[in-house]
Amino acid sequence: MADTTSAASFAQPQLDSPLPPTVESEIPTTRPLGLWADTWRRLKRNRMALVGLGIIVVFLIVGMSQVIAHLAGVQLTPYDPNAVNYALTPEGIGSPPSLSHPFGTDYLGRDVLSRTLVAARISVLVGVIAVAISLIIGLSLGPVAGYYGGATDAVIMRIADVFFAFPYILFVLLIMTVLGPGFTNVFIAIGILSWATYARLVRGSVLSVKTMEFIEAARAQGASDLRIIFRHLLPNTMAPVYVAIAMGVGGAIVTEAALSFLGIGIQPPDASWGSMISAYLTYLPAGSWWMLLFPSLALVLTVFGFISFGNGLRDATDPKLKE
Amino acid sequence: MIAYIVRRLFQLVLVLIGVSMITFTIMFLIPGDPAVTLAGKGATPETVARIRHRLALDKPVYVQYGMFVGRLVRGDLGESYQFNRPVMQMIKEALPNTAQLAIAAVLIELLGIPLGIYSALRQFTFWDTALTTAALIIWGIPVFVLGLFMQWFFGLKLNLFPIAGGGGETVLWVIPADYLNLSCLVLPAVTLGLIEVAYISYMQRASMLEVIRSDYVRTARAKGLPERTVVLKHGLKNALIPVMTIAGIDLGALMGGAILTETVFSRPGIGLMIYTAIGSLDLPVVAGGVLFATLVYVIANLVVDIGYALVDPRIRYE
Repeated sequence: MADTTSAASFAQPQLDSPLPPTVESEIPTTRPLGLWADTWRRLKRNRMALVGLGIIVVFLIVGMSQVIAHLAGVQLTPYDPNAVNYALTPEGIGSPPSLSHPFGTDYLGRDVLSRTLVAARISVLVGVIAVAISLIIGLSLGPVAGYYGGATDAVIMRIADVFFAFPYILFVLLIMTVLGPGFTNVFIAIGILSWATYARLVRGSVLSVKTMEFIEAARAQGASDLRIIFRHLLPNTMAPVYVAIAMGVGGAIVTEAALSFLGIGIQPPDASWGSMISAYLTYLPAGSWWMLLFPSLALVLTVFGFISFGNGLRDATDPKLKE
Repeated sequence: MIAYIVRRLFQLVLVLIGVSMITFTIMFLIPGDPAVTLAGKGATPETVARIRHRLALDKPVYVQYGMFVGRLVRGDLGESYQFNRPVMQMIKEALPNTAQLAIAAVLIELLGIPLGIYSALRQFTFWDTALTTAALIIWGIPVFVLGLFMQWFFGLKLNLFPIAGGGGETVLWVIPADYLNLSCLVLPAVTLGLIEVAYISYMQRASMLEVIRSDYVRTARAKGLPERTVVLKHGLKNALIPVMTIAGIDLGALMGGAILTETVFSRPGIGLMIYTAIGSLDLPVVAGGVLFATLVYVIANLVVDIGYALVDPRIRYE
């Protein structure tokens, strides 16, 4: 992902218009499939998307177990990730992969495998928390803007425009400079900057869904605005949002890695893939490729998983690609 | 069309006001008092008060915001705390290096267009699968990881190109004047370009697939036009629009400084300037750099949108 592709722009389906709600065929020859069954049926045929899904599942299992282990105060890695051992770094450049240390050891003799595993905790947390923050803001403001229209819509969407106007990574950097480096600030910076994507997506879908008869029926039954928005409109406008979530989690993980790489994200002794890459890169000219390779590989694979699955999900929910 | 442009310009002004407000607010939230920072250690309270008065930090917030906007309109981004130089001057010096990289990277990423078209026309063949898989993998590689790999492989192993530097003499403001300058550009430009090639080719494939399934292409086929004409004259015209939009916006984004790439390759552009300023908490430079980048990005978006409206009349009446 280049400097230009932000988590926000990244999350936006570039070519498709928002989905109308599924319309079941008028004369069903067989039992019509629901949205999810139909999506799964189409997703199943996309091998890349399945590979992506597999990577996501592995990543979530590893990351979540590290989160739980961290909370419970137990160590779920072959070695203590922070244990310095100078015997394992004879020339100060670590030791190459071996049977006892499959990913090698780093310049302080710490086990690279253990550190790579522990770092998955940060990535999972960033992916989940940052995206959750932006979803909460985006999914509250977006439907409200679309449903009420007029001045409410104009105000909310102009604010969203301002958030879109900043080049993403630079804006995150500006916020991080002011908030200072650290764990929580990374979540906050990424979270509050990405809401506009979700708000815009949902607003677009709400505009097309709100004129439909079932909304009118709900209103005729005396449902309140809030109930109509969150009970009837929102669930019917979520398909493009799921795609954006998959892309957004990948984007948040890369952004955290980039911030930590630049030294203003996660701080030591916490290990994140980005901060590992940043700390190990000076040892590359000395030939210690293993220190850089494994955290990079973990990062690249994880992001690939989310992009690949997100793209597959987009194709699978796109009515234009239905045969 | 004029009405559309006027409406977009009006929106642009609104957005810029919002951008200036947010940047101003963020600068106000900084922990610590800029007057104390500027006065240095061991300064007397009188000195701090004098600096505070000189910088108008003792005035109400809205007055300060007014003065801030007034300076921005005159192109005054303040002075660097660290170098005591106007930020605008620093941006002017860094801009040619950033522009070189941006233009070179965007030229490289256009290679994604033929790749994407080829993939779309041979959908589900071996080459399509191979190209699409490669595109998905490369698209997800963080630019600093690819940059490090490029440095290691082409710089250290093969010793083909310098792994850092740039910023020598230029011809016509942006073209590198000598071989060294040009060779410094190769690795960063290829790094950025390669990732974007992947993204562009993926998008070009998707857009081409959508177009060649549309009714008007079927009509063109039905009236017996040769396949070549159908694809290149009828299909491509519409399939290019979304991709050109991406390339245009990319150019705008990169012109404001590719901060990760410039940092990895120690390239003295706007991105590296901002990165260095963050390290020394040189806030006027960070804010000025971000404001400049945002302005360029917003204008690029506007130009792309107007271009879009020119070629696709449906947009104008939205």
